[in-house]
Formats: sequence, structure tokens, C-alpha cells
Amino acid sequence: MDEFAPLDCLLPSGKQKICLVILNQPIDERYFHVLWSKAKIRACADGGANHLYRLTEGRRESFLPDYINGDFDSILPEVKAFYTQKKCKLMETPDQDLTDFTKCLAIMVEEIKAQKLQIDTIVTLGGLGGRFDQIMATLETLFHAQKMTDLPVVVLQDRSLAVLLQEGRQHHLNVNTGLEGKWCSLVPVGSTCLTTTSGLKWNLDNQVLAFGQLVSTSNTYEDHDPKGGRKPVTVTTDKPLLWSMGIKPL
Amino acid sequence: MDEFAPLDCLLPSAKIRACADGGANHLYRLTEGRRDSFLPDYINGDFDSILPEVKAFYTEKNCKMMKTPDQDLTDFTKCLAIMLEEIKAQKLQIDTIVTLGGLGGRFDQIMATVETLFHAQKMTDLPVVVIQDRSLAVLLQEGRQHHLNVNTGLEGKWCSLVPVGSPCLTTTSGLKWNLDNQVLAFGQLVSTSNTYEDHDPKEGRKPVKVTTDKPLLWSMGIKPQ
Repeated sequence: MDEFAPLDCLLPSGKQKICLVILNQPIDERYFHVLWSKAKIRACADGGANHLYRLTEGRRESFLPDYINGDFDSILPEVKAFYTQKKCKLMETPDQDLTDFTKCLAIMVEEIKAQKLQIDTIVTLGGLGGRFDQIMATLETLFHAQKMTDLPVVVLQDRSLAVLLQEGRQHHLNVNTGLEGKWCSLVPVGSTCLTTTSGLKWNLDNQVLAFGQLVSTSNTYEDHDPKGGRKPVTVTTDKPLLWSMGIKPL
Repeated sequence: MDEFAPLDCLLPSAKIRACADGGANHLYRLTEGRRDSFLPDYINGDFDSILPEVKAFYTEKNCKMMKTPDQDLTDFTKCLAIMLEEIKAQKLQIDTIVTLGGLGGRFDQIMATVETLFHAQKMTDLPVVVIQDRSLAVLLQEGRQHHLNVNTGLEGKWCSLVPVGSPCLTTTSGLKWNLDNQVLAFGQLVSTSNTYEDHDPKEGRKPVKVTTDKPLLWSMGIKPQ
């Protein structure tokens, strides 16, 4: 079974081919440069463009997104004008029941197909901080993403990474990139999850994870021989299960 | 049915004040120059976050330091458990337990906050409100109609209903996008970026009413003060 290394995307020498989505949250500059340079397609969801614009002051031409989508209620007029003038695709995706993030992913999946790209992961900057309902909306988008694509959608902000693990298969998470922070977590967002794991300090053995019953936070990796690497964390679940982990300061 | 105003708590003063572990560091920093006027009644935790200088200061000031070592429960959950005992022991009339922090930072800790809210429902009938930056969250119990007073003047523009632990059969009124005996569930329908229904500015907003068959997470924006 293929291994997936969630933090591979932050390794300059990482093997994964990625696409990048920038959301409306302050951008971690340390992550930005690695991800931007590796990404085959780069997009901003609405106000994400404001953060890109601010971060790349002085050299904005070198950091033009392939497209910016949204209802455009967050993007500043000056920012919108700039990227329009630079011929970035501005795709107005008006308010419906779907968030700008969800719509950005939908476009991303179409672009990947249209350009016949080999992509391993869609990486998202932002989404795990700020307005609380928007954090929840990020999680909802991860659920929708599973119906749109088999590609993992990884979300990064500050020193947290989150990815939704699909039901019905054994996940092998490579946690040996050297960028792993100390903590990790499995959270049954949305429903109970019958879960089995290995490679964690506190593993689950066909146990039910559920809010109000048992939720795995402040978990960590099992001890390992420093000469060997960490063994992959394996996870099986019967419903989508949210994996999150800490990122070492870069 | 009695009304509950989530933002009412930003007005009056607290009867009991506590820090969960590293919360004491933030209290210490914020109250520099007048720390003696802001002594917590107790600080609990496994004490792996509180700084030695901070711990020494509050110990010396005779704040109750209650070591609640690592188990399966977070410092927040244990802090609430102690809070409930104190409320009972002091025979206090309390309406709400308010928590500062919990909705930002390490992502698993945000999830742990939500888990604590579930545990809290088994520990007490008192609402436990969590506030950070400009967000407030409170877990609405199943099986009763909640009347949320959203007329304090401190309400921000957005509100939200999120079925965190399981699908929730939900009915609401008073929202711009109401639910009419509909299932809220991740992957199906989650209410975020909702807002309040229009109202006559001369009158106040009508209460938001929510019924749910499983615990449902209400959150709302707070106006900048």
C-alpha cells in the first residue's frame, strides 16, 4: 500500500507533485516559498490574494497566481485590479452554498485534468485559524473534496497540518521527513469512527472515536531506534477521520 | 423557556476565576504592574506549560495550586470539574462558565476544547461559553429548545451551527438561513457564514431558536469593542 508523507510538501527535496491553494489567512512565509516553487498550479481563494499581494511586495510579478476565485467580497479592489492587469484568471464564483475554498478546489481539479498533470497532493495555506466558523468550514470542504477527487488535500497553518483520511482503506502515513513536530491527533469530526492504528504512542485497537467518548489529541509517535526511522503510522477507519499533526519550526 | 444571551458574559464580573496550566502565563503577562489585583482563585494542570517564575509568583500569593496530573482528561476539562465543585462548595448561584482561549493555536487543542464541551454537558447543566479573538462557541444540548438572545449589541455579523460529533436533526428560527427539521452533517450540510434575520431597527432582534437531537455547536462573531 502506498505511503503518504503529509509533510513531504514542505521538504525542498520532497517527492510529491503539488498544487497550491492560498486562503484568507496570514501566510506562513517559511512555508510559502517552498510550496510556491514546487506547485504546478497556484491559486488564491478570494481574500487569499490580499495576503499574497502583501507578502510579495517588491517582487509581485514573480508570484502571480494562475487563478483567483471567489465571490470577491474579501479581495481588496487594489489587489483585484493588480492581478487582473497582470492577466491572472479572475473567476467570479458567486455565493451559493459552497465556500470559496470548495469552489477553488473544484476549479483546481478541473485544471489538473485539463492540463493532464500528474499531481500527488493539493496543499492549502491557511484555514485552521481565525474566525471559528471558517475553521469549521475548512473541515467541511475537506469532506466535499473527498467526493471531488482522490487526491489528498492537506491544510497547513502556523504549526499545524490537517488532512482528512478516507474510510475503507489502510492509510500509511510517513512521519519521517524530519519536519514532524511532537504532537499528532485523530479527531472523528462529523460522526463516530471505528479506528485501528499503529505507530502512535497511544494506539487504537478497533476502538470507537467519538466526541463525548474518546477523541485522540496530544497523541505522539511511538518511540523508535534513532538509527532507524520512525515506522509509518497506519490508520484504518470506517468513516472519514481527521488526522492532524504538529510541524517543527522551519 | 428561559433565554440565554451568550455575550452577556462580557459585561459583569466573575465569581470564581481560574487558570488552566499555561493560562497563568498569559494572566501574568497581561496584568504586569498590577498583578496583585488579578489573582486567580486556583490554577490547575499537570504544570508542564506554566513557567517556573509564574508558578512561584502565584504560589507565593497563596493562590490554590492544584496539580491534576496527566490522564486522559485535558487541563481544561479538569479545570471545569474543579470549578463545579467550588460552585457547589461555596453555594454560588452561577449562570454561565466563561472560558478565555481555546479556539486558536495548535489545531488538536482546538478540537480538544470542543471535546471538553461535550464532557462538560455530562458534568453540569450550566452553559460553558468559549471566547477567543472575535469568536464565541457554545455547545447546545440535545432535546430542548434553545432561545438565544442575540441583542446585547455585542453581536458580530456571522453565526454558525456545526454538527461536530454526529448528524443533527435541526430546526431554527431567527437566522437568515433557517433550518426546518433538516439534517446538519459534515459532508452534507454545515451552517457557516450564517447571519441573523433582518429586523426592525427600532425593536431588538428576536431570539434565535434552535432545537437539535444531538449536541450542536453554536458559534458567533463578536463585535470589536
